[in-house]
Amino acid sequence: MAIRNSGEASARVKPKEKFDFFHDERVRSVFYQILTACVVGWLAWYLITNTAHNLEVRGMNTGFGFLSATAGFDTDFKLIEYKPGIGTYGRIFLIGCINTLLVSFLAIIASTILGFVVGVLRLSSNWLVARLSLTYVEVVRNTPLLLQIIFWYVGVFALLPRVKNSLDLSVGAELVFLNNRGLYSAWPIPGDLFWMTSVAFVAAVIGVFILRGWAHKRQDRTGQQFPIFSASVALLVVLPGAIYLLTGSPLDWDLPTLQGFNFAGGASLPPAFLALLIALTFYHAAHLAESVRAGILSVSKGQTEAALAIGLKPSRAMSLIIIPQAMRAIVPPMISLWMNVVKNSSLAIAIGYSDVVALFMQTALNQAGYAVEMVGMTMAFYMFISLSISGLLNIYNKRVQLVER
Amino acid sequence: MSMAKAEKSVTRSAPLTETSFIGWLHKNLFSSWVNAILTFVSLYIIFVVIKSLWIWGVAEAVWVAENRRECFAISKDGACWAGVIIWLENIFYGRYPRDELWRVNLGGLLLILWMAPLWLPRVKDKIFIGLSTVFLYPFLAGYLFAGGDKGIFMQLMVTGAIVCLVGNTVHACIGVFSGGGLPESLLGILGRKDASDANQRNTLLAVLAIAFVLIYALQIGWTVEAVPWTKWGGMFLTLVISGIGITSALPGGIILALGRRSKLPVIRVLSTSFIELFRSVPLITVLFMATTMFPLFMPEGFVLNKLVQVIIAVCLFSACYMAETVRAGLQAIPKGQYEAAHTIGLGYWGMMGLIVMPQALKHMIPNIVGSFIGLLKDTTLVSIIGLFDILGMLRSISQDAPWRGLHKEPLIFGAVLFFIVCFIMSKYSRHLEVKLSAGANR
Amino acid sequence: MKSTSFITSVAAAVAVAAVALAGATVASAKTTLEIVKERGHLRCQVGQPSPGFYNLDANGEWYGSDVSICQAVAAAIFGSKKKLEIQSVSSQVRFTALANGESDLLSRTATWTLLRDTQLGLDFTAVNFYDGQGFMVPKDSGITSAHDLKGATVCVLTGTTTELNLADFSRVNNLNIKPVTFEDQNVRNDTYLQGGCDALTNDKSGLASNKAAFPNPGDHIVLPETISKEPLAPAVRQGDAQWFDIVKWTVYALVGAEELGVNKGNVDDMRANSTNASVRRMLGVEGNLHDGLGLSKDWAYNIIKEVGNYGEIYAAYMGSGKLGIGIGRSGSANALWTKGGLMYSPPFR
Repeated sequence: MAIRNSGEASARVKPKEKFDFFHDERVRSVFYQILTACVVGWLAWYLITNTAHNLEVRGMNTGFGFLSATAGFDTDFKLIEYKPGIGTYGRIFLIGCINTLLVSFLAIIASTILGFVVGVLRLSSNWLVARLSLTYVEVVRNTPLLLQIIFWYVGVFALLPRVKNSLDLSVGAELVFLNNRGLYSAWPIPGDLFWMTSVAFVAAVIGVFILRGWAHKRQDRTGQQFPIFSASVALLVVLPGAIYLLTGSPLDWDLPTLQGFNFAGGASLPPAFLALLIALTFYHAAHLAESVRAGILSVSKGQTEAALAIGLKPSRAMSLIIIPQAMRAIVPPMISLWMNVVKNSSLAIAIGYSDVVALFMQTALNQAGYAVEMVGMTMAFYMFISLSISGLLNIYNKRVQLVER
Repeated sequence: MSMAKAEKSVTRSAPLTETSFIGWLHKNLFSSWVNAILTFVSLYIIFVVIKSLWIWGVAEAVWVAENRRECFAISKDGACWAGVIIWLENIFYGRYPRDELWRVNLGGLLLILWMAPLWLPRVKDKIFIGLSTVFLYPFLAGYLFAGGDKGIFMQLMVTGAIVCLVGNTVHACIGVFSGGGLPESLLGILGRKDASDANQRNTLLAVLAIAFVLIYALQIGWTVEAVPWTKWGGMFLTLVISGIGITSALPGGIILALGRRSKLPVIRVLSTSFIELFRSVPLITVLFMATTMFPLFMPEGFVLNKLVQVIIAVCLFSACYMAETVRAGLQAIPKGQYEAAHTIGLGYWGMMGLIVMPQALKHMIPNIVGSFIGLLKDTTLVSIIGLFDILGMLRSISQDAPWRGLHKEPLIFGAVLFFIVCFIMSKYSRHLEVKLSAGANR
Repeated sequence: MKSTSFITSVAAAVAVAAVALAGATVASAKTTLEIVKERGHLRCQVGQPSPGFYNLDANGEWYGSDVSICQAVAAAIFGSKKKLEIQSVSSQVRFTALANGESDLLSRTATWTLLRDTQLGLDFTAVNFYDGQGFMVPKDSGITSAHDLKGATVCVLTGTTTELNLADFSRVNNLNIKPVTFEDQNVRNDTYLQGGCDALTNDKSGLASNKAAFPNPGDHIVLPETISKEPLAPAVRQGDAQWFDIVKWTVYALVGAEELGVNKGNVDDMRANSTNASVRRMLGVEGNLHDGLGLSKDWAYNIIKEVGNYGEIYAAYMGSGKLGIGIGRSGSANALWTKGGLMYSPPFR
């Protein structure tokens, strides 16, 4: 009885925590973590020693000294100065990175625009247009990107005219030519006083922002609308234009002209670049179109009806009410799609555009060896870009969460 | 009441726009000027594309020829499909010995037979059938494809797989016809239907063991000729690589996803960095890493062949993508489920394995099909590092002496093939999505 | 469920281990010949299909001149050209695949250079094809010499020595040639045919096969200049002298047989009836030349019986045979030394 009594009495007191070494959660968690760390550490050590040993046995060179060694090959597309036999492998890496970034950047912009257009067209009331957009999206999404890149390169650029019969895209002005060697365009060369025009343009941009702020305030106060768009365009055109003319048109154009075998002068883009750009754009736009469509559909129908009920035109309802709300659902997949654009640009290797993979991990690796260093550097480059873009996504997500409260 | 109309209003027919074909046209194609222009532009695009494809691909195409010169002689403006047709076996099976092709076909048929019960109504224990597909089928198919001498381990696994396949099929048939399952029927035949649970289980195990021994004895005499990996190729190789990729991605992805959501910092950091490492680089760099760096990682004298290097790379890559899919699935499970599992006294693994994972996995099925489509398309990259997958084969046609230079037709053929396969799968995954979400809303 | 997850992880580990073991081979201190004999077949590395040298046919079989070298080595060791596994490896990893023992022999269009011979841990055996880089232009362009190519756009494959040679040639002659690089031969050829570049550069063997595949081969000419030396030779791992000898003398046996007039058709007759001492020694009727190689007495007989002599291989795949790429042999470096070429076999004695 006494035992039971004491038991009843102590039932209300919190039972003393028993420390059981093998079943304690904290001990276990520390144990598991140490175990994992050990296994991973051992694996890393094992791989590193093997690699070091193999490199030594095979007499392969190591270290990053090769970056300052001269490279003997040329590349057909570069934005910075490079000469074979003088330029170094380090410079080759830089050229590759810049080329990757350039094509990715342009493809991101183009595919974002096209993706929004197609996404809206998917919901078009025109049956034929909706079906056509659907066909485009399905075809592009269900075939490998690699095949598409090769298709654009082989199938489309092979059909363009020869140099002598170049298409003049500027309708007779001889400024932009397209032929099967690429796109040639006039390139501006700023003169001495051109900086004043630039300053005027920057001033105009700042002016537009001030104007917008003022117009919004006025609308809040009085309800009157101000034609911001036309006023801004006028400001952006008139101010720099006037300065440009006053300083005596200080801008020369470097025109592409046919000399000997090729066009000389101006700026040019090789067909591989164009094919890659187009393929990346079409591929990712199709994916984005689906996200845009899903995003727009996720906005409840009541929003549209309410917008129309307060007298907004359908286009204003779309741009002021629907799209801003849909953006919340569209932006995260869109940003990860941007990441994919950068990664997929590595398929350039199939058509010989000099991106970082083709130039550095293929050609340079073939010429110089240094497999570990070169593969590592290329992967590090992609990781840096991807992490930057996902950082962007995180910032956006935080802002959206704040807005949502 | 004087407001009421005295006479009956005339019954009007429905407006034109609602019923007739012209009405449909007006409503859907020509409702406004902009729409009318869009319609005409679309019609023009469709006309041009279909016309040129028709002329090149069908009307002017050459279907039978000995070589490309002959194609040129017959028609210069049309496609030369003859080369693709002659190469079809290479495109589908690679260099697999022509007398042994039945093995590849049988492997495919067995997979269909194995998985068919998953789609049949009234079949019980689908989870077991699914798991056995993942863990036993690869061994049977692996032996069927690679052949050669079976080691003791392979013999056991092949026997197990055959027993399991037979059991599954019988179980499924019984399920479809009577709504029961293999265990009950088996016991019914043996007249032990009312025995205790333990006895029932023992009887079942005994029957299975006898079957196992019988089949083991039978399969010892069964060997097939060894086919080295260098002879694997074409669509078959593409499917093998992406199949292994997706099957191993599931367990790998689950482990990584759980690791990333773990409360233990060391495990979380390691999982997260592993996932982010592979997700932030393109597959082609991972494949390059596999072929140039894996040989350096191995101890001296230990050599992995190219196929294994590529498969490991694809597995690592797809596991990291799957981990994010799993993580999204886990995040969708309401917190109440975790708390409820804790309340009934389940530990971490019990909670995950019995409560959370089954729900999460069910909702991830469409995403998994989506990942498989993605992986199937991405697998074409292995042609860049020199494997003869379907793209590698398609690109080799143009180097073969009779067909030198024939490269557009194979690419178009490949694109159409991929489109058909991927389109069907993506339609199916969308259908699943609708079905599952309908189930969830009920 | 705890046990299930445990089983799951074990199963996964076992599967991974099984795959790893199936794909792994463990080399040891044995000589290459011993390893090859034990395995029962030769592993010979070629590249991705390239006309003339190695190609796949519609039945999935390899053919080509470099494939014939592989077959000859297999025949020398096993007496049958079928005991052979052809591995096709992309160019980035060709030398590593040989170095780590994945392949026994590299028989692909690898140019013999000092750097490769000394720094990559491999040895080139004997040249089986003398190639050199050249240019092809459309006939109507009016170009007759490579020195006319000032400022021209030239199509070239990326990641090859061809690319380096072109850069060197342009720099030395101050031609300011603009390279357009391609990953794929077909795309490069199409681009050239469409006028996407003014000239095409490649090894001359490659140019010949490219030209043969054009719709109108007569509209293009190969310029006379050869801007590089490309001796192509099978290569083996460094450090196994016996294996090096086997491969080297297999090539010499092919050339020697042609010199001595032994071919696939008459080899049986020659072995039985020839009175020429060199022929008798080569075919193993007289003497014990095979001892030094560690092969059987009839090794050279097997090579000729199974594969044919060098002339026959050349005619079939490089010359105007049905599978050939149509490069004339007479007057070129690939003719026999007795006919003014460089193909020369040391004596069989």
